Amino acid sequence: MYNIFLPDFNKKIKIYYVSIVFFIYICFKKNLLQDKPIYTIMRRLLLMGLLLLPFLGMAQGFQVNLHGEKQIGMGHTGTGLLQDGASVLFNPGAVAMLPENFIQGGINPLFFNSSFLLAGSNQQENVKNNVATPFNVYGVWGPKNAKWKIGMGIYTPFGGLTEWGNTWSGKYSLISLNLKAIYFQPTLSYKFNDVISVGAGFVIDYGSVNLKRAIPTTPDGQAELDGSGSGTGFNVGVFIKASPKFTIGLDYRSKVQTSINDGKATFSVPASLASSFPSPNTFSASIPLPATASIGLGYKPCDKWLVAFDFQWVNWDVYKSLDFNYGQTTSTLKNTSSPRNYEDAFDFRAGAQYEADKGVFIRFGGGYATTPVKDGYVTPEAPDANRVYGTAGLGIKAAKHLDIDIAFEYEHLMSRTQTNIESGLSGTFATNVFIPGISLAYHW
Amino acid sequence: MKNFKNYAYILLAAASIAACKPVITVPTPTTGSADFTRYISVGNSLTAGYADNGLYLSGQLNSYPSIIAAQMQTIGGPASFNQPLFSTAQASGTGYLSIDKFNADGTPHFVTIAATAVRGISTVTGGPLFTKYSGPLDNYGVPGIKLSDITNPLYGNGNPYFERLLPGNGPFQTQYIDFITASSFTFFTNWLGNNDALGYATGGGGGYAGAGVLTDKGNFSTLYTTLITRLTANGAKGACATIPDVTTIPFLTTVTYGAILAGVQKVAPQVTDIYINAADATGAVYAPRKATAADLFTLTFNSSGQLAKIGTNGYGVSPLNPIETQYVLDANEVALVKDYVNSYNNTIKTASASKGLAVFDSFAFLTNIKTNGLLVNGISLNSNFVSGGIFSLDGVHLTPRGYAIVANQFISVINAQYGSNIPTVNVSAYAGVTFP
Repeated sequence: MYNIFLPDFNKKIKIYYVSIVFFIYICFKKNLLQDKPIYTIMRRLLLMGLLLLPFLGMAQGFQVNLHGEKQIGMGHTGTGLLQDGASVLFNPGAVAMLPENFIQGGINPLFFNSSFLLAGSNQQENVKNNVATPFNVYGVWGPKNAKWKIGMGIYTPFGGLTEWGNTWSGKYSLISLNLKAIYFQPTLSYKFNDVISVGAGFVIDYGSVNLKRAIPTTPDGQAELDGSGSGTGFNVGVFIKASPKFTIGLDYRSKVQTSINDGKATFSVPASLASSFPSPNTFSASIPLPATASIGLGYKPCDKWLVAFDFQWVNWDVYKSLDFNYGQTTSTLKNTSSPRNYEDAFDFRAGAQYEADKGVFIRFGGGYATTPVKDGYVTPEAPDANRVYGTAGLGIKAAKHLDIDIAFEYEHLMSRTQTNIESGLSGTFATNVFIPGISLAYHW
Repeated sequence: MKNFKNYAYILLAAASIAACKPVITVPTPTTGSADFTRYISVGNSLTAGYADNGLYLSGQLNSYPSIIAAQMQTIGGPASFNQPLFSTAQASGTGYLSIDKFNADGTPHFVTIAATAVRGISTVTGGPLFTKYSGPLDNYGVPGIKLSDITNPLYGNGNPYFERLLPGNGPFQTQYIDFITASSFTFFTNWLGNNDALGYATGGGGGYAGAGVLTDKGNFSTLYTTLITRLTANGAKGACATIPDVTTIPFLTTVTYGAILAGVQKVAPQVTDIYINAADATGAVYAPRKATAADLFTLTFNSSGQLAKIGTNGYGVSPLNPIETQYVLDANEVALVKDYVNSYNNTIKTASASKGLAVFDSFAFLTNIKTNGLLVNGISLNSNFVSGGIFSLDGVHLTPRGYAIVANQFISVINAQYGSNIPTVNVSAYAGVTFP
């Protein structure tokens, strides 16, 4: 059918094209894995007045892996590759090995399509169509033939934009969440010889959160938490050029504990309850953005081909509970501690790049990531589940010094039927994520 | 560059396919072995949508039968479900309670929203008569009706809620059981029997002129069997509900012995005992005695102003001037009611089982909420007065949210019994206790 559109496709390209379509097909195929069994964890919960404020189930869903179009096209591989300035993030150790200097920027409009079917209901509810815009900017510079390079990266490794609205069945758990973490990473990389190089970056995180949920009074009240904070961490890596064909990268990004102090808490409730919900109020919270460790391999079987594998471990286990402390508390509005009890997550990635014409690159890849969220802890903020994703990309050398890269990614989260132990919200979540993206890279 | 364009097309094509929303599979609608062509609801005030001490339009619109019917309609249920609604011009119906503010001590302050549907005074009872309803009818909930009333041909003369459903101005000779079975139906819910115990309990048991009486157990059994036989005579299927434990409703659990004593001791620390007029073990002989935590006080003990009189002339603090029995369901009366309710519920379960009907065990359900609360869609509910969210301001009837929960319970047992898949409703969409 597609040949109608592309009659002059040569045979070779057709094969690659078919592979891309095949990846996409895999992502589409529903029920790729059996749905998880329903674990209805019933637990006696202490009554906490009208308001339970759990919040912010940061999950794999909040880990954003959109760090460079070349890497996205190849299934997010890059730890063991020398592609471009995105090595500042993927592996600072590789920066000194980059053959050129780079200034580049990319953006990835993210369409997060999540749906919910309340247990026993036949009315599917969907998130509103919002578009999040993760971005990345990198600069890498070093004198020609020097052993060192410096770099700067600005990127968004965590974030989420989820709006369910104020009429859906889970409105008392969440109306909307807008979470952003922007990392600034100055980097220094040093090449010992043509085989091994190392690098390290210092990470400053600027994070912001805006969260709304309904309060179950009649008429409905609403709580809004709005705040920003910061944290610090680091990113270190080693890069090994084992042979002209074979490269290995190791990278460790530390945990960044992001603290929000003096956030603004606003409550609107029926007038007779206003004294129970002091407003405006302040809140503080501290959220661990977890450490990741990655190993990546790159292999060039021939001139035109490059294949890559990455494995990433995400230390979500540090996320035990989410605590909110309010500036003013009452017998109704109390400080809260919500158990999260995340477990570590893993991400398996593979991708390939083919130079179809001179200066034209076709990329494709995919992966599988496990969820850190245990049964009973799934929340509508990021209804997380194990996920499979496929990516495809296209790169072109538009001019001698300029690369244009486009990529798209499709993620399918396994549908998950859950009863949250804290809110009692019971039903099935299903999520598809669709992410196109484009970047420009100037190199010299 | 030409090829670049082609590659871009591929990405675009794939992208447009990918941009769709996920679809979560919903079971194919089926009514199973039940037939919902005409659904009728049989019962008392709970079935009518009574709330906040009155029958009014918004309560009627949130009655559990209307919720069930609307859900049945999503899978091909009844074409219509008609209720004896008050008009929007008379939306306040018989009048009802509302909270207008909170008192300084944090307790709610109630006001009565005036009735708009009173059309006259009954020459039989001297009480009000309400605007007649003459349209088609599927919800036969009649506030106040007991099981023991369903074969009483004169009942329409004494109960204004039944009277307004009957054509003409009486005197009436229509038995409730004939009225509800006059035209054919395929499915029913039946939640009769509450008032056979509740009337006695909310009146503080017996021991005074005009006290409620518990319907005789044998009589209850006979009438219930008669009712079920009539309802199923033409092959209709349905669901029945048991009667809740009266000690789980806020009407009898809000004003407590401990709270009364503590209140008195704030003013008069020397007082150590509260005196009530209480029944003996037979429930027949009444005498003053010291109250204990096992004695339950009615919500009306507070709202009638009696609570404020404690201590005046020794009221409630002396055996010579005990709290009157109509405000106290004392420990022996509690035991008596529990025994009767147990017996009634055995009858309900046995009679339902004999016809293969679904049973919503409201006794077990409300007892569990009383003990454990209920967490649903992020709403933490319990059996407390005002703050609990399930019971309305009269402490007996439910809020729209409470009725939605009841509707979901009925739906669940109907689905389980008949293999249908009526969807449940989203409880979050229904109102709890309205705060100013």
